[in-house]
Amino acid sequence: MDEHFRAFTFVNRITSVKIGHQVRGSYQIPPDLAEFPLSLVGEAVGQLAAWSAIAAMNFEKRPVAGIAAKIELLNSIRPGDELELAADLESVDAEAVSYGGVASVRGKPVLRLEHCVGPMVPLEEFDDPAALRERFAFLCNSGTNENAFQGVPSVMPQRIAGENGQWIRANIQVPQSAPFFGDHFPRRPVFPGTLLMHANLQLAAALASELAGKDELPRLPIQSSMPIAKTKWAIRSVHDVKLRTFIPPGELLESEARLVERDSNAPVISLETRKGKRVIGTARVSLVSETTT
Amino acid sequence: MAVFPKAAETMADALGCDEEEVKLDSSLINDLGAESIDFLDIVFRLERAFKVKIPRGKLIEDARGELSEAEFEKGGVVSDAGFQRLKTFLNEVPADRFKSPLKVADIPRLFTVETFCKIVIRQQKAAGTAAPTAAQTAGTPTA
Repeated sequence: MDEHFRAFTFVNRITSVKIGHQVRGSYQIPPDLAEFPLSLVGEAVGQLAAWSAIAAMNFEKRPVAGIAAKIELLNSIRPGDELELAADLESVDAEAVSYGGVASVRGKPVLRLEHCVGPMVPLEEFDDPAALRERFAFLCNSGTNENAFQGVPSVMPQRIAGENGQWIRANIQVPQSAPFFGDHFPRRPVFPGTLLMHANLQLAAALASELAGKDELPRLPIQSSMPIAKTKWAIRSVHDVKLRTFIPPGELLESEARLVERDSNAPVISLETRKGKRVIGTARVSLVSETTT
Repeated sequence: MAVFPKAAETMADALGCDEEEVKLDSSLINDLGAESIDFLDIVFRLERAFKVKIPRGKLIEDARGELSEAEFEKGGVVSDAGFQRLKTFLNEVPADRFKSPLKVADIPRLFTVETFCKIVIRQQKAAGTAAPTAAQTAGTPTA
């Protein structure tokens, strides 16, 4: 299979564009997938913004993942949903693009990005400028209904150490080969930042699950028949996401999730990913309670 | 310097360090460990925090001043005239940090927290949004 514009592409159609400023589009999530993580919804908004930035730079530069000040995970999505994508560029030049955006399903926001920054790199080092120019025109004119995405190989963090409810350290093995490398990017395979985020959010969720049950008993009066409330924590938003370097195929990374703010109403988990001794990625995850009895 | 407290908080957030580590004369690269992505992060955060625009590449352009690129550097090394110009423009940087010959690629190593505070102030003045001085606020005559 030719993986270009198929294996890791999440914009089917560009419905309106003011180059360098504003762009709207859509993506039909294939209905036969087992799952479609919210991190890939973020990828879809980023890819839409990238099209506007690439066109603004006359297909000589393209953005890569860098910084996201805030990512709100608002609602769940299901395979078969159509994502309504919107991105607004705050600025774009030869050095960087800054943008925000939102993905919705049937008018209801499911994910929101704020103050994202993508460093701009020479496009021809990563992809064929002529092919991208042609693809942009295609997406703007007619788009496609082709459900080409077939899912991504599971990249699960493998726990290596931890302290219950405090921190977890895990290895993340980047695959040596995968279809998405053919699309991200054809001339220089790079492990997508959003797949690293997906792996790290699973680590954060594992730590969050260890927080459940560490609850204070309810204040008096206590009736013996009253069930004790247990707090289940869910990830509400991700802040201060920063990716410092490209991750090539086959890399062994180490991530650590650590509880850093213990406010019982709004715990925060820090995420740090290393390649050897070098910190290559950081983020902070805010939790929200879903109290159950 | 009036902008320093907020600038220090902004830079600490960008770099993930304690605010106490961010001093006026701290070198962003040598003291605070900033990488190129952090410079982008800092610039965009300062823009939001102070509601100014900081054009990309402006610092190097302003540092060069009246000198043309050919007068400022040759073969990636800052010329004598460029070196003197840099020492004048970056007068907040301790003099002992200027080492000749200086590669153009190493100029960012000279930038301190105060360098970025001055950028913010310059952009505020350019936009007419600079906060009045204490003397102006008090209504006393200024020189």
